[in-house]
Amino acid sequence: MRTRRWFQAALMLLLGLYLLETLLTGEIAYYINERFNWLAGVAGFTLIALGILNVIALLAEPEPGQAAPSSAPNLLASASGGLHGFTARWYVIAILSLPLIFGVFLPAQPLGAAAINNSGIAFSLNASSAAEQVFSIAPTQRNVLDWVRLFSTSTNVDEFSGQPADLIGFVYRDARFEDERTFMVTRFTVSCCVADAVAIGVIAYGDQAPNFAADSWVRVQGKFEVRDFLGQRTPILIAESIESVPTPERPYLFP
Amino acid sequence: MDFNTQLTLFSTRFLGIFIEAVSFLLLGTLVSGLIEVFVRKEDIARFMPRNPFVAIAAGSFLGFLFPVCECGVVPVTRKLYQKGLPVSVGVTFLLAAPVMNPIVFASTYAAFGFGPILIGRFAITFVMAVAVGALFSLERSPIKLLQPRALLAMAGGSGMAAPQPRTPQLGFLQSLMRAARVATGEFFDMGRYLVLGTALAAGMQTFFSQEQIRALASNPSMSAVAMAIMAFVLSICSTTDAILALSFANFGFPSGSLLTFLTFGPMVDIKATLMYLSIFKRRIVIYMVILPLLMSLLFGIFINLNVRL
Repeated sequence: MRTRRWFQAALMLLLGLYLLETLLTGEIAYYINERFNWLAGVAGFTLIALGILNVIALLAEPEPGQAAPSSAPNLLASASGGLHGFTARWYVIAILSLPLIFGVFLPAQPLGAAAINNSGIAFSLNASSAAEQVFSIAPTQRNVLDWVRLFSTSTNVDEFSGQPADLIGFVYRDARFEDERTFMVTRFTVSCCVADAVAIGVIAYGDQAPNFAADSWVRVQGKFEVRDFLGQRTPILIAESIESVPTPERPYLFP
Repeated sequence: MDFNTQLTLFSTRFLGIFIEAVSFLLLGTLVSGLIEVFVRKEDIARFMPRNPFVAIAAGSFLGFLFPVCECGVVPVTRKLYQKGLPVSVGVTFLLAAPVMNPIVFASTYAAFGFGPILIGRFAITFVMAVAVGALFSLERSPIKLLQPRALLAMAGGSGMAAPQPRTPQLGFLQSLMRAARVATGEFFDMGRYLVLGTALAAGMQTFFSQEQIRALASNPSMSAVAMAIMAFVLSICSTTDAILALSFANFGFPSGSLLTFLTFGPMVDIKATLMYLSIFKRRIVIYMVILPLLMSLLFGIFINLNVRL
């Protein structure tokens, strides 16, 4: 049972360290909305503190069979008296180590084009607010989420014709797109964690687009032109330049 | 899609849900630790309304006192049971608190504004939680409903099943040690269900396509069923599910079905349901899934058919 308690203590320490490590490396941005980062930090420190307290308790307790000297009763050990039923079983320890195994042994990657296949993509966004705030942002400073918000709240999309844009996103090609020159500059929005990720995108068109594979991150600069697209008046970003960029440190946008 | 891509997708979703949920779970554990130290059994007995139905109704508003989502509510409820909270009041609290709290009010307001969805979400949650709680008040013996471990005094002898005398000479360091042991026990006890539920939810999101479910949007009754399935499978934190519900509105889901999603999801989803097993007996957990499911479907379908929102 002491072995299991050592494993429990070690697991809590390692899980806590893993949480803090994802925070320090910024990898946490692949998993949750940044406004919950502090919560992951609190969780990390709590786990480490619990792990350390468990280790101290284990060190303070006498080995089994080795009775505590009666003249000096071990106060720390007596504190956990009657709690022996609370040591986790082996299978529980195995289950709790799964997150650690996935986190440490698999390469961390943000959601990409492959994730759209089973969750779908939203061409418009039902945004009840915030469109007014977006208008105050200069057009070339707006990100994919800003534009999608503007398009879906606008009553006349023709107003966006000729506006310049400078967007970063990954390449996604829908089965409905007619040729390789049409693609979407795509981002995932994450409100809480990746479980609620929603893909959104701005439709773009460029002669050099076929050189960029699906899922690769690109920066697209150009001007909007409003065309009929899949039966709807749609602003399409006509690319003047498309360049490859590395995966951003914060791949998701936060609505 | 090849196996490697799917494994990476699964891993990202699994870790994302886990990191978020484990943080809320530990926060709930910290709150439960505070309750352990600062709330005495006598306090619960003193503030508990005498009339059982008033007590149940009051239980649904406890979330404004302990704002927790569906992961954090489990350790808090378990602790309150150890402090002598009646089972029925605890059930109502457990089902209602993930919605009936200021954080969810704010996020639902941000997504839908002040209107029928916001009011409907709170009103329906209240009715559902009180109804299930009232049903459980018919069985007064906690032993028949709860897991024996949930009733045990875990820290310092304030339990109701096996009262242990508190050793008065326990100093600060020893109390800290004891609290750490107890928190460790709780973390592993509830964490196993959390990890399994998280793996299931991430697996469902990765290996099943949502397209077919979305195709049901236009049917008034099937769309409510679809939203209930989505709520169960996605296991999204109740503090932010309103924003996702907004995206379902984009796919054409009617208001009644959105309300099914917003009322059923916080009460019952894969990881929350599994975590309930750390408090209740299996048979009871089944009731706690089926009853909210039927009620939220009924409300959702009724609204879809009869009310224009």
